[in-house]
Amino acid sequence: MPRIPTRLIVKAYQNNPLLPLLLRECRSLDSARNELRWLHERALHIARQRAISGRSGGNYPVVGWRGLFRSMCLARSKGVPLQYILGDQPFGDLDIKCVRGVLIPRHETEAITFHAAELILDILSKNNWMDRPKAATLRIMDLCTGTGCIPLLLHALLSPHVLRLSVVGVDISPTAIRLAKENTKRNVRLGVLSERALSEVSFQRGNMLEFNHDGFPTMEGLFPRIPGLATSPEPRCDILISNPPYISPREYYHGTTARSVRIFEPKLALVPPVNLSPSMVQYRNIRREDLFYHHIAALIPRLQVKLAVLECGSHSQAIRVAAMCKDVLGKCNSTGSILVDIWSVTGYDGHPYAVLVRSR
Amino acid sequence: MLRHIRLPISNIIFPVPVPVPKRTLSTSAILSEKALPPRLKLNDADITISYLKGTGPGGQKINKTNSAVQLIHKPTNIVIKSQATRSRSQNEKIARQILADKVEQALKGDHSRVALKAARERKKKASRVKKSRRKYRDLDGKIVEGEGEEVMENLGSGEDSEGRMMEEGGDNATPSDSDTDTVHGVKEAEEVDRR
Repeated sequence: MPRIPTRLIVKAYQNNPLLPLLLRECRSLDSARNELRWLHERALHIARQRAISGRSGGNYPVVGWRGLFRSMCLARSKGVPLQYILGDQPFGDLDIKCVRGVLIPRHETEAITFHAAELILDILSKNNWMDRPKAATLRIMDLCTGTGCIPLLLHALLSPHVLRLSVVGVDISPTAIRLAKENTKRNVRLGVLSERALSEVSFQRGNMLEFNHDGFPTMEGLFPRIPGLATSPEPRCDILISNPPYISPREYYHGTTARSVRIFEPKLALVPPVNLSPSMVQYRNIRREDLFYHHIAALIPRLQVKLAVLECGSHSQAIRVAAMCKDVLGKCNSTGSILVDIWSVTGYDGHPYAVLVRSR
Repeated sequence: MLRHIRLPISNIIFPVPVPVPKRTLSTSAILSEKALPPRLKLNDADITISYLKGTGPGGQKINKTNSAVQLIHKPTNIVIKSQATRSRSQNEKIARQILADKVEQALKGDHSRVALKAARERKKKASRVKKSRRKYRDLDGKIVEGEGEEVMENLGSGEDSEGRMMEEGGDNATPSDSDTDTVHGVKEAEEVDRR
């Protein structure tokens, strides 16, 4: 990491004595100023809330915000993600609560979710799902859901256009499931999510990978539990979307992964575990960072998925995943054609990459 | 301003109440104000949106807090950047609003919504300034009158001189005040011109 020039630190200090603290993590004056503003707003807000709840209303001067503000800045200087300090992150129009132990939603995921919603609406408007009656429930499954941001945003975007929805988020972490449920209620309370979400969005704890550890239900065991899927004789799902862990151990430890992410965000949500699955024997040469994609690809034909949107970390990974999807689906699928392509968008500096699998 | 008021007050013995000219002071909003024209709707095809900046890879590896949105209006080449909030969609909304205003201003000039709004504000401010100036002028006049009374008592002269003295006092007592007033007025005009 390049050293911050002393001149910049002095300039920051002259601007605000707390700014050099934020500079340690932000590395640029512009973003440090932004974060300082957001932290300041939040510190004032929290102190005001305390004042209101403590003494019955009243127009008292806000007490204690300075100390709070300072401690927030100190935490940030040690690398604690801003979202963990503030406790939330905007995602589309939603406000997603973030806690330690659950991955913070990324801007790339937001962009991909918006695009997925567009694709779904596009497909619905063309109405080229031959076997689909108009009033049927649109079933969406999000694997490795984390905070529940993807299912909730999809519901917010689709519910005005789709009569009946069933959105399921699956994650292995109990903390994540608890948080996702909380986020549903939170956003309904805030009024950015319709009341329907309470009944139409559900979260299930489940293990994506086939090997069983600690007795979590695998995907096999999970299907009967999911309300939308259990109604049909064979489990079916229309849309599959996922942002699985996709960082290789090498990149995690010696590569491009930020220190703040390594220290404070859960490794479980970032790096796929060592695979022990018997079905993986034939895929000996598979890279560890692509492990989840293989399992998701295997689910696509079994659930008769119409559209799958899989977020990838880089262009090279997207190419690998697309090839793998073609390979896996080519073996399983006998009827209909399958379209696999890579979606990205210019204008984003991070370049979100997603592999789209469409079957007709 | 206050200094000028405070100094002579100590000299006042008992000022005779003077009838103050009655002026209606209304604090309610002007009802007859015309609604502003609606904001210009921009064509989505004309706008290039980009999400800035921060270098290197993103995604799960890095947790970026930057939410800046930059809009470029291609026909007029106006660039707007917004990083007010942490939400990209919110920033985009804000940037779109500003961009619409700027584009309209570039196209219509003085007849645009922003220009009309600014003109209205200016008018309001001018009237406010005028009112306050009038108020302080009157106040100064009153104080000077008190001074004049004192002088008058000492001299023990008649009604005629009282009026004269008062007038004289009004002219001489606060030269600095009237000076600042004019300077202020000039400044005001300059501001108006710059706008």
